[in-house]
Amino acid sequence: MSRPRTVKIVRDLWAARGRVTVMVLAIAVALTGVAALLVARAVITREAAAAYASTNPAAATLDVDDGVDPALLAAVRTRPGIADATTRQTVTTRVLVDGQWRRMLLFVVDPADALTIAKFRVESGSWPPTDDGLLIERAADTILRAGTGDALMVAGPDGSTTSIRVDGTVYDPALAPAAQERSGYGYLTPTALARLGFTPVADQLKITVTDRSAVDSTARDLAAWLTANGHVVHEIQAPPFQHPHQRQTNAVTALFLAFAAAALVLAAVLVAATLGGMLAAQTRQIGAMKTVGATTGQLLRMYLTATAATAVVATLLAVGPGLLAGYGLVDLVGTLLNIDIADRSLPWWVPVGIVASGVGIPVLVALVPILRAARITVRAALDDHGTGGRVGLRRTDRWLARLRGNRTTLLAVRNLTRRRGRLALTVLLLAAGGALFTAGLNSATAWRAWVDQGMDRRAYDAELQLTEPVLAEPVVAAARAVPGVTSVEAVLSVAATPADVAGRVEVQRTYPDGGHGSFTLTGIRPDTAMVRFDVRAGRWLRAGDRTAVVLNQDAASRLGNPAIGSEVGIAVDGRAGRWRVVGTVAEVGGPATAYTIPDAMTPIIAADQVNALRYRFDGTDPRAVTDRVETAVAGTGATVVATMPTTELRNAVDGHVVIFVYVLVVLAALMATVGLLGLASAMSITVIERTREYGIMQAIGATPHTIRRLVLTEGAITGIIGCLVAIAAGIPLSTMIGDLLGNLSFGLPVPLRIAPGGLGAWLLLVITGAIGATLTAAQRAARLTIRETLTYQ
Amino acid sequence: MNIASNNEAVLAVRSATKVYATAGGDFPALREVDLRVAPGEFVTIVGRSGSGKTTLLNLLAGIDRPTSGEVWVGGTGVHALPERRLAAWRGRTVGLVFQFFQLLPTLTVAENVMLPMDFCDTVPARQRRSTAMHLLDQVGIAEQAEKLPAALSGGQQQRAAIARALANDPPVILADEPTGNLDSTTAAAVLDLFTGLARAGKAVVMVTHERDLSGYADRQVTLADGRIDTDLAVPA
Repeated sequence: MSRPRTVKIVRDLWAARGRVTVMVLAIAVALTGVAALLVARAVITREAAAAYASTNPAAATLDVDDGVDPALLAAVRTRPGIADATTRQTVTTRVLVDGQWRRMLLFVVDPADALTIAKFRVESGSWPPTDDGLLIERAADTILRAGTGDALMVAGPDGSTTSIRVDGTVYDPALAPAAQERSGYGYLTPTALARLGFTPVADQLKITVTDRSAVDSTARDLAAWLTANGHVVHEIQAPPFQHPHQRQTNAVTALFLAFAAAALVLAAVLVAATLGGMLAAQTRQIGAMKTVGATTGQLLRMYLTATAATAVVATLLAVGPGLLAGYGLVDLVGTLLNIDIADRSLPWWVPVGIVASGVGIPVLVALVPILRAARITVRAALDDHGTGGRVGLRRTDRWLARLRGNRTTLLAVRNLTRRRGRLALTVLLLAAGGALFTAGLNSATAWRAWVDQGMDRRAYDAELQLTEPVLAEPVVAAARAVPGVTSVEAVLSVAATPADVAGRVEVQRTYPDGGHGSFTLTGIRPDTAMVRFDVRAGRWLRAGDRTAVVLNQDAASRLGNPAIGSEVGIAVDGRAGRWRVVGTVAEVGGPATAYTIPDAMTPIIAADQVNALRYRFDGTDPRAVTDRVETAVAGTGATVVATMPTTELRNAVDGHVVIFVYVLVVLAALMATVGLLGLASAMSITVIERTREYGIMQAIGATPHTIRRLVLTEGAITGIIGCLVAIAAGIPLSTMIGDLLGNLSFGLPVPLRIAPGGLGAWLLLVITGAIGATLTAAQRAARLTIRETLTYQ
Repeated sequence: MNIASNNEAVLAVRSATKVYATAGGDFPALREVDLRVAPGEFVTIVGRSGSGKTTLLNLLAGIDRPTSGEVWVGGTGVHALPERRLAAWRGRTVGLVFQFFQLLPTLTVAENVMLPMDFCDTVPARQRRSTAMHLLDQVGIAEQAEKLPAALSGGQQQRAAIARALANDPPVILADEPTGNLDSTTAAAVLDLFTGLARAGKAVVMVTHERDLSGYADRQVTLADGRIDTDLAVPA
């Protein structure tokens, strides 16, 4: 037989089943989010790291100009600190896909290579491929639109194309996914490379080290040894030992997890507010229980058990959908990152975390009202008439009493302050929901505006890249002559390396894909009409600035954020130069770049040489124009790598991040709902509590209309306060999200932008919601008869 | 005039003063009150509104503490009992009956009666229902045991409340206006119950507005302005 106190709790929960359902749903929905993100974060971060590590990536890659022969390689393997070494070659070219050129990276591996470093797994076909074939990375099939047996048209060094057959696919999780990089990845032998017209040179020395904490020094020592032995090492690449997108994945899943956790806390606050109201209505019962011997501890355990039971039900409801959504997210992100999820097991802390947050957070938050209720003295409990014993004695009450105006409104305002704890909880619920809602919309607006602004600063419609520098005048003239092209500017961009001022070659953080972590030195006209740079500090370039550079934020960061006026070392082809930093600019999209004037590049590259053209055009068919420009430029003998229309750059920039902003808005809408449910719950409790008072009011002449207006006004005022707090709290939250998204994508915080639509929508939602949420309670209050209310206990 | 009981007192109030701090300054609700009640005595406390009746009852029940003075119930100094021990002490020592019954609306009448046994663990779990039924039978509403309080008349609810007050077999029954919400016939029946309890050896103290309690109570203590005005034997 159940104990009466257990029976009481069960029946009380059943009597308030509407509100209990709201509590359970609120926790379950929020916990589903928490569970999904815990699962996703745990599995993805572990598997991305494991997949990357499974390739045994080179700790460092040294570019040795004249190549590394087997004898030298054998000697390198015996050098101190070197665990293993191999040689490779990477060639950047392009491939014709559906009549359009795309970037193509060719990874050249000798058939004799034991594939112990920078491994890849053959998924179909076999290694080595035939001499007229290659294997492609499995995720590159969407970019290359080709599968096993298909032929690829690959450009050679002279611009001619050669057909090469796809012999199979490999899985290489060390690379950023091909689709995201808009690049094809091919794996072939030196013989096959030679067939495409390129000269096979094993110029990449890939090493692993015995002490991973000493990668840079080991690589530098090796470079010094190679240099001393007559070789030219012009670059050392030592990317961080993690997947190229690991940092972003970690940060984004952490942000989502934080939001889901916030939703859970919000749901817990709703539980606390609802429970607080239910307990307030039970104050006299608590008093009665204390008079028959209930101790504070017993009451505490009773109500905590009830809360825990509610939370356990919610947790049970959330586990299934949470795991399902979590593994769904794992598969989605796994596909996005091109990693196999080899191990789907969950670390022990995930189930513990789900249960602890699902049960623990609601119970912890509910502890506040439960403690207050359980600790009430018998006298206070028995004296409770729902009017708040100290009302009228507090300073704010006296201050409110001095206010003049519409009596119903005044009464509503004074009533609001009677249960300050509840008012605070309701406002917190509405404010938190609103803050996340407005912050989500603010972030979406800020992101779009910021990318728009960043892209607007690029006044060119397309950029054409050449394989190597050529004389400027003929290519500029050829492009300018193309019908539709309105202006052309030449640019010279070279791969560079941050170096210390003494000239020592610094270690690059570039990944094998050549894009992630790269650094360029770009010669650009100081009076360029193609880009309007956003100068953040110092100034832009001037004519005659022969040793000056202006750094974009990524370059500044890579050089240790040097002060304006200070000197930095930048090496090109292993030759370090000293440059004075005259300014820094913000740039959306593009690698770490140090800008200088074209003349300043002459010590590095012969005068008047360029390797990129930026141009504007008119006309309705951009593709036709860019094709014609490519043909015209190729006609001068230059070899085109690719053309990047500014619109495509924008799409690439947008596509990666904007989805996260939308997810945030969805999460925020969910929380807004929780907030409004909280208000509805609070108002219904208020009405139940004041039933007697409404009877008294009606007995002295208040009409049902007055009572309804009183309750509605109270709800509306609560809604407005919640809204104001939400707007205030949404601003720092927007800034935080903006900082995170911006820093993750471009190393720059996204400036705060208020979405007026978001504020308006939230205001409308809250006012309508508040009235809707209060209406049921108000109607109930207005319908009560005097007899009902006065006999109400 | 003060009647001192010859028997050993189960309730003893010594020089109890209770002062409430109000917005208008300190308000002395009780001043230097002395009272002794012996087992088997049925004492009523009467007086005008604000005379200190409920305050005195609250001191006896450990619901309130005296500002000065002492309150002894069954050998325990209630005035000095720490808050954490008060509830359990109250559950075992004092049975409280209120004007508005204060039954828990979601528990049946029997469950309401079993609740004090549950909280104080005075009766083995298996015997609680039969004890409750016995008590309900004693107050004459055994047939209402499985109903919720709302289904009962005022008089029946008050009987249930009395049965609940007796659940842990306390030596002291304290009642605050227990007949205030009942018609005269029902009120008489309730008073009969209290008389019976006193006859059974319990000390019964009842705050009431009823002046004529001859035939029920043994003593009538009249309070005025927080002081005992008269303490008289009630004629049989």
